[in-house]
Amino acid sequence: MGRNRPSGTGPRRIAAATVALLLCAATTACRGGDTETDASGVKTDVGVTAEPCPEAVDRNKGCIYLGIISDLTEGPFRALAVPITDAQKAFWKRVNTAGGIGNYEVDVTRWIRDNKYNPQTHNQVYQEMKPNVLALAQTLGSPTTAAILADMKASSVVAAPAAWTSAYAFEDVIVESGANYCLESMNALDYARQAHGVKSVLAVHLAGDYGDDAAAGAKLAAQSLGMTFNAVKTDSGADKQAGAIQAILTGRPDLVILTMGPADAAAIVGQAAARGFTGRFIGTSPTWNPALLQSAAAPALLARYEQTAPWDTYSADTPGHQALRQALGQITPNDGYTSGWVWSYPLKAALTKAAADGDLTRAGLLKAVKSLSTVDYEGMLPSGAGNYAAGPNDGAVRVTAVYRPDRAAPTGVIQVRPLTAGPTATGYDLDRPCYEKL
Amino acid sequence: MTELVESLLRGLGTGSVYALLALGFVIVYKATRVISFAQPAFMLAGAVLVTYLAGPLGFWVAVPVAAVLTAGLALGVERVAVRPMVGRPAFVVAIITLGVDVAVRVVVNGFIGLDVRHVGDPWGLRTVTIPGTGIDLQQRHLAALLATTVLIGGMFAFFRYTRMGLAMRAAAYDQEAALAMGVSVGAVFALSWGLAGGLAAVAGTFAAAGASVDAALWLIALTALPVIILGGLDSLPGAVVGGLAVGTIQELTATYQQHAPWLGGNVSVITPYVLMLLVLLVRPYGLFGTREVERV
Repeated sequence: MGRNRPSGTGPRRIAAATVALLLCAATTACRGGDTETDASGVKTDVGVTAEPCPEAVDRNKGCIYLGIISDLTEGPFRALAVPITDAQKAFWKRVNTAGGIGNYEVDVTRWIRDNKYNPQTHNQVYQEMKPNVLALAQTLGSPTTAAILADMKASSVVAAPAAWTSAYAFEDVIVESGANYCLESMNALDYARQAHGVKSVLAVHLAGDYGDDAAAGAKLAAQSLGMTFNAVKTDSGADKQAGAIQAILTGRPDLVILTMGPADAAAIVGQAAARGFTGRFIGTSPTWNPALLQSAAAPALLARYEQTAPWDTYSADTPGHQALRQALGQITPNDGYTSGWVWSYPLKAALTKAAADGDLTRAGLLKAVKSLSTVDYEGMLPSGAGNYAAGPNDGAVRVTAVYRPDRAAPTGVIQVRPLTAGPTATGYDLDRPCYEKL
Repeated sequence: MTELVESLLRGLGTGSVYALLALGFVIVYKATRVISFAQPAFMLAGAVLVTYLAGPLGFWVAVPVAAVLTAGLALGVERVAVRPMVGRPAFVVAIITLGVDVAVRVVVNGFIGLDVRHVGDPWGLRTVTIPGTGIDLQQRHLAALLATTVLIGGMFAFFRYTRMGLAMRAAAYDQEAALAMGVSVGAVFALSWGLAGGLAAVAGTFAAAGASVDAALWLIALTALPVIILGGLDSLPGAVVGGLAVGTIQELTATYQQHAPWLGGNVSVITPYVLMLLVLLVRPYGLFGTREVERV
């Protein structure tokens, strides 16, 4: 059939398509890529509009769009991710009510997407929102964020993570908060030696930045403290923990460091205890969910499990915690809310700095991040936290709190040690991501 | 020796869940020649129903009620999504069941909410010691094994001694001949789906006993796929033997994998598939599957 086409039709179509493509490209550039200067002299490019936000408090202000990529429906961390996201919506609403960022308010509701804790999905939704947002108010998960990190660096897209891998200390585009998994595990071992006289450690961990980072921290601390150390990788899924349980029962360590989701952690603690294991467990913060106190593993959790956390729990009495509770109103307490709130402070500080510098472009925001020497966490983290200008080692936050399950506590856990930097974490030189040393 | 026996008993407990799930797959396959990929969703739906019903009704009433409700859900799916496709290629119907699985799970996930849920079983993680042996056995595994034995006994009696059971066997053997003899093949299809749904609900409950119900529970049902291939797609005894075999091999591998650390830390997860491949190398139609002979 192609042979019967009138001569010249093909080239004309190709030319028309080329013109259309060029027009599309030009339109896209005008919409999302060119640098503009607003009436007050602030430079903007992507994700910042002169039009007000959809839910603006002051309709005379422009809008800064931030994206959220979270585990909202079926992934293993959704019980944390949904409150994290709700807290961030409340955080930025509070910022807007207090006057916004310069001549702009912040919208985190227009571009919220579910990653299902899947790196491919994470990248897909990131590409979808990237032409429309200045930065990411949340990118949840270490392996998922790894899928977009190269693109973020190439495009100067700053992001607040919902994860604590030590690799983030080495990435300018990530504004991390609190002690990373590696330092948290070091603090866990310092605590366990002091509180329980632990001499041998087994790290049971998921593969990837999250689990490997915590296991590496435990390994480095065990070496430093003269403990014996072993590690076993496991998979996500309560039915896939038989190998890990057997490794615990065979090795009989004094302490097991857990890095996985709550259902997996409960399966391991409950079944290992049911089969006669009498050692201790310490789980990193994502291993806990208050609903576990209704599970069959509850007696074992109450007797043998403790949780480390990079900041104080929801009911703590700092100005930041009070503001969080006031902003959220009547909700069932959950430390996902606390985390989402804390993680938002550095991005607010960076946006405020960039607006003050007259440069709300992506490059301007990244420059502001690099220049931050402190972030006001309203007491939720110690003063001095949020020093991104100091570099990975000097800027690292090294404090960790320890909690144990308690049925009477609002979030199901009660503090047994306040935010403290142990000697191992304090003395550690963070010269590269810890998981590279596992 | 104690460790070996305890591993075997744990494996039989886990294998019971696989056997119930596999029976559901096989019953639907025998009746309709379609592998129903909706079984994982029915399993999740049944377990979630128990988490809601166990509070007001108590666990022992909640389980049969949830099984009946899940059977009703399966009947509805069969009537709405599968029956209109009778006569279409089996592959098409199988893909439809895949879509049904995703759709049902999305709805059920909404009922799970954010926190993990619990079926409220009376066993938890408690153990019993077999007198005079020192062998510990988890009560939930014993309960799963007993429940599976009772259900399988009931199923085999149903197929062997009832008119409907006979009709189902006839339809499975030759649908056209059964139709000609007055068997309602539509009723056979519906009952097959209902039975599979009910079995999946019970399996889901035992899979969650002593643990939790979350959105990832359905993944356990995927282990039933190598079980039915291993046992033979159209063999009810094959489903039972395959399920118990996979459960015990998985548990034995987990117990003794320390002697082969080079295999990795969680090799028991892949053993159902390795076992399936090994059996298929020797018996391409599974352990008890019917060898298909075609004229050429």
